[in-house]
Amino acid sequence: MPRVKRGFKARHRRNKVFKAAKGFRGSHSKLFTAATVAVDRARQYAYRDRRTKKRDFRKLWIIRINAAARENGMSYSEFIHGLNRVGIDLDRKVLSDMAIHDPAGFSKIVEMVK
Amino acid sequence: MKTYVAKEQEIEKKWYLVDAQDMILGRLASQIASRLRGKHKPIFTPHADTGDFVVVINAEKVSLTGNKWDNKIYYHHSGYMGGLKQISAKKLIEKKPDQVLYMAVKRMLPKNSLGRRQLKKLKIYAGSEHPHVAQNPQLLKM
Repeated sequence: MPRVKRGFKARHRRNKVFKAAKGFRGSHSKLFTAATVAVDRARQYAYRDRRTKKRDFRKLWIIRINAAARENGMSYSEFIHGLNRVGIDLDRKVLSDMAIHDPAGFSKIVEMVK
Repeated sequence: MKTYVAKEQEIEKKWYLVDAQDMILGRLASQIASRLRGKHKPIFTPHADTGDFVVVINAEKVSLTGNKWDNKIYYHHSGYMGGLKQISAKKLIEKKPDQVLYMAVKRMLPKNSLGRRQLKKLKIYAGSEHPHVAQNPQLLKM
């Protein structure tokens, strides 16, 4: 049996953490203990924020649609209520994109909804 | 499709002129704050300054409802023991006529570096004169 030392495995295990901790501030990217904690926490935030990302974007679209609707003399809630009534099936993402890149088209939708 | 993100050089910032005479403080301030942040534009982007410049004249003639001139009190703390200072709205508008509206808007903006940058686009003057004629601010009815 050849003699096995533990240095190789240990180094690889630590390097995995250091690689994930690249760019962290101060000791969080240099010391193993601090880096481990920081990486664990970073992954928790990443997991959470992959979910909140969907809500955050929806919020942003709503703010933009509201701004565009008000330019056309209508509040957001009136606008969405009108969409449902008329039966237009565009989602908020598409509507907010239209408000920026195709204001004329957006105005037309507002007219239809009124 | 990617959601649009406004870039600093693409944002068109306009100048607006607001007459604060007989306007109710909080209602006026919230509309000004919204303009400064750019929430009235479809390109609003939370991490970029998409707002417009707002020039306010006649800030000393702003109005408060109820007994707030006497009862509304502005507090700040010097950091030393017993250092809690206070001044009523009545006294503040006598001493610094532009501060009442300035404080109201400041406290409605986000408390971070972007908010502080957006506050710099607010120009408040106590009287009916303003030095921003070159920017040709557009009169805005609030």
